[in-house]
Amino acid sequence: MTPLFSALFDALDSRMHLKGPTRATANKVFPANWSFLLGEVATIAFGVLIATGIFLTLFYRASTDPTVYGGTNEFFDGATVPAAFESIIRLSDDVPGGLFVRRVHRAASHLFIATIVMHMLRIIMTGAFRKPRELNYHLGIGLLTLALVEGFLGYSLPYDSLAGTGIRVAYSIVLSIPYIGENVAFWIFGGEFPTGAIIPRFHALHVFVLPLVLTGLIALHVLILVRQKHTQMPKPDIDGHTYIVGKPLWPSQFAESTTLFLWVGGLLALAATLIPWSDVELLGPYVSGEVGNNAQPDWFLFWTDGLLRALPPFEFRILGATINTVFVAGAVIPGLMFGLLFAYPFIERRVYGLTGDWHVLTNPLDIPLRAAMVMGTFSFVLLASANATNDILSRMLGIPIENLVFGFRLSMVVLPPLLAGLIYASSKRRLKAAGARVATNEEEAQSRFQPSELTSS
Amino acid sequence: MTQPPTPPKDDLIVLERHTPQASVANDTLVIGGAIAAAVFGVAFAVSLITGFGIGVYGFFLALAFFSLALSTRRYFFDRFPDIEAAELRDAPIESPDRPISAVAPLGRRPLLTRVLIACAGVFGISLLALVPSLGPQVGNRLRRTPWAQGVRLVTTENTELRPDDVTVGGVVTAWPHGSIGFERAAVLVMRLSSPPEAPTIMDWVIGDSLVAYSKICTHAGCPVALFRERDDSLFCPCHQSTFDVARGCVPTFGPATRALPQLPLGTDDDGFLIATGDFEEPPGPSAG
Repeated sequence: MTPLFSALFDALDSRMHLKGPTRATANKVFPANWSFLLGEVATIAFGVLIATGIFLTLFYRASTDPTVYGGTNEFFDGATVPAAFESIIRLSDDVPGGLFVRRVHRAASHLFIATIVMHMLRIIMTGAFRKPRELNYHLGIGLLTLALVEGFLGYSLPYDSLAGTGIRVAYSIVLSIPYIGENVAFWIFGGEFPTGAIIPRFHALHVFVLPLVLTGLIALHVLILVRQKHTQMPKPDIDGHTYIVGKPLWPSQFAESTTLFLWVGGLLALAATLIPWSDVELLGPYVSGEVGNNAQPDWFLFWTDGLLRALPPFEFRILGATINTVFVAGAVIPGLMFGLLFAYPFIERRVYGLTGDWHVLTNPLDIPLRAAMVMGTFSFVLLASANATNDILSRMLGIPIENLVFGFRLSMVVLPPLLAGLIYASSKRRLKAAGARVATNEEEAQSRFQPSELTSS
Repeated sequence: MTQPPTPPKDDLIVLERHTPQASVANDTLVIGGAIAAAVFGVAFAVSLITGFGIGVYGFFLALAFFSLALSTRRYFFDRFPDIEAAELRDAPIESPDRPISAVAPLGRRPLLTRVLIACAGVFGISLLALVPSLGPQVGNRLRRTPWAQGVRLVTTENTELRPDDVTVGGVVTAWPHGSIGFERAAVLVMRLSSPPEAPTIMDWVIGDSLVAYSKICTHAGCPVALFRERDDSLFCPCHQSTFDVARGCVPTFGPATRALPQLPLGTDDDGFLIATGDFEEPPGPSAG
């Protein structure tokens, strides 16, 4: 340490006795594997979202009141548009750097959600959710859910044509909940769509409530991680059940994280320079009763929109409630998917009779049920997501939309179970060829690839 | 001065240790990257303030980040040995029987604990009384629209409509007079090239060809904005529900289950288009 830093640190230490805890923290060992950085990239993206979001919220006007825009955007000069949309045009075209900050915010939001999803895939496939880490896994699923909601709210705030249409569809999904749908929709949206209450409420949730909850949960997520220590990729000659092997926080991981932050910052700046992803002024403001072509949500909600498009028409009354296709596609199936994600650690533990604590990660092909679950759910989500572009695909490929939707319906029903069954069978055969069954505790799992003297302790 | 014994928890178990060679190339990268970052940073600031476009200052900012990343990486690479270390995982706690608090409770009536928790729960649930205040009473609001006997149809620009204003193949979005923007009341007035067929309600058709249907899709509530002239159908751009305008707007494709409700259409004494009543079926998606 340079003399300045060490003098400062000594001064703080003499007042707060920091040397012990600092040394313990500096010696914390991080596994050196790129996939362990996905969650870190998500955290960096969250930091960028907070920083750029503070700038944006100073300009944003949370209102749909008709407002006359006057400024350098020639297309909208003199036009009467909702106040929220007006503030977006003003920020983009009349504030130096405003458009850039909006684009970085949007790019960081895509990165935030994409890395959360990849991080989750890594956790699920390698089995990092197993005891003792179930609680942190569930916190992570909660974070993903909140991030999706936060993304939807952010998509809605500019009140452009797509935003208004997205809010309308969300309102219709809430409306479709049996018995309580109408009341809940009125509570959330403040009355019948489109109300003046929606945008102020979404703004408060987007810039205050959800960021606060997300910050708290991310902090808790990391605290639990530090408390429980990282998992460990399997390595020959290393007893990962007893030790964690990797780089110390200071200086190696610190250097890694700082560099990662700078790379991500550069990539976001480059993305914002090259890609006009948030230029919603091209879409025009939301006008009640109007919608443009290619009405789609952001990519991370493609799967729900694809489900809405794919499910056939039906509506029936049962016990005084109406069950319709929107309720099943927009609430029941997504609910089941998240329910499966939530329950999976318990299912796997029960099915294979797993015991004890698990710290060493596994190849998903070693656990047939897990391989099948990941393959089944994610192929379903990908097919549903692809179906959210069926109108564009139909135009590009020249296939009638009717045939395309039929094909998607068929493949969404047939392919996921088929792929899940295939990978289940092949992982089972793989296990059998190795003369093994699914290990029920970590000692047994480690003995498969470790010299025996390491696991006998 | 003697070194105090360090507790084992503090000690790094070093498995491997690589000491990097000091090299001019590395020093050059550190210095070059740092200077480049400063130069690009200033270039970003100057180009932003002097009004250059996003393609200029954004690019400078990205370059500044990348240069700083390179410099930082090489700085740490040269300055510290590369360590692979091991850390012992937590051992299970030795004495699980030890109570978490030094103050043990007195053995008093356990019923009181339950009463206290139950009553606190009831109190907590009572706070939910604020939830219904979040929106107005639903009541009959979602069953009715402003359409009623004698209400004139107006365009989004608030001009009243006569039957002749809609030509063959023409589609006009119309609202109840005085309620422009009341989303669920939006209708499309369309003139068909041939007389409509059942289940169209012919009493509500003007001159055998002019019809009005709700514009709000019965699936998820998007405006059914696209009129396809070749088969007289309405197409929803959100989820591709398709409605046959010549046959009572029944759904012919996509996820919509119910037909778009037909507006009872008529003309008043001044020759303007009016509604002769509200929709018979509620327009828009059905509630659960």
